[in-house]
Amino acid sequence: MPERNTPQKTLESWKQIAAYLGRSERTVRRWEATEGLPVHRREHEKQDTVFAYKHEIEAWGRLRTKCPDSMDESENLSFPKLSTNTYLAEHDAITRTMHCYIAGARAGDGDLMRPAFHPSATISGYCQGVEYSGSVEHVFQWINGNGPAPNINPRFARIEIIETIAVVHLEVQHWSGKLAGANARASDVFTLLKCEGEWKITHKLFHWHDR
Amino acid sequence: MTNTEYQNEYDGILKTLQLYIDGSRQGKSELMYTAFHPDASFFGYAGEQLASGTQFLFDWIDKNGPAPNIQPRVVSVDILESIAVVRLEVAGWSGNLAGSGVRMSDLFTFLKTPSGWKIIQKAFHWHAAERSLVARPLV
Repeated sequence: MPERNTPQKTLESWKQIAAYLGRSERTVRRWEATEGLPVHRREHEKQDTVFAYKHEIEAWGRLRTKCPDSMDESENLSFPKLSTNTYLAEHDAITRTMHCYIAGARAGDGDLMRPAFHPSATISGYCQGVEYSGSVEHVFQWINGNGPAPNINPRFARIEIIETIAVVHLEVQHWSGKLAGANARASDVFTLLKCEGEWKITHKLFHWHDR
Repeated sequence: MTNTEYQNEYDGILKTLQLYIDGSRQGKSELMYTAFHPDASFFGYAGEQLASGTQFLFDWIDKNGPAPNIQPRVVSVDILESIAVVRLEVAGWSGNLAGSGVRMSDLFTFLKTPSGWKIIQKAFHWHAAERSLVARPLV
């Protein structure tokens, strides 16, 4: 996208957002997934485009307790404390974990979503009439095999927190990819556990809707 | 889903859940075995310790023994075609390991299988932080 067509206050691509923050595209995508970097999307027929407001990026930067310069690839779970309200803090921590899953699903990168899951997490559900139950590794393999699904459009249908456990119902439309096909819809129910201060998915239950 | 279908699915889920409640009340895990999917998981914190695996649950139920005064309440039942999530609040837990008068919040996820609705995961929160699920029997 030509620079001169870009309004001064917005960044119009991952490349521009990354350049603005002085980081790689992969790092800023991860920050969106795990740390709430405010990135917006415009829906298009073929593929959504991303943009960000500079003032939002700057406000986000001020709220982070850690200096971006001290972050490296292994520190992606050091969440900033964005809220002082206990409920909001838990709610936001859960949605950050879920956005890590969503970012991996969108990118077709199983390793990107791995930090969202507990090491012993399991999955269950039916895919084309066949029951799948087992280790979460199946999810990572499926995501890698499926490849990018740039148009997935997730909605939080429910987030319910009971102290150390939580359930999240996610509705995801516009799934695509080598395994998902085109324009598929999935309902997912995730169970999460607050494990040493971090919310981790312990179970993913899914239902693919008939076309 | 028609009204009748919805009621059938709902009743099927509650019937499976009742096996868990009956086993908990009597302190007999064998009563609840068929409620669980073979790949079911179990997660939650018992005080500081992470409890996991359905075998942990079954052993705990047997060691705890009868809990005749449990008061289960279904808070929500959400059915999404082949999957479902149920929140259950159980007050009045008692027994060798539970102590007395404690409360548990449970999130059950269910999968619809050819042999009926099965619990695929139970996540719990124990509301008595001072008591551990793995503590020795109270003397």
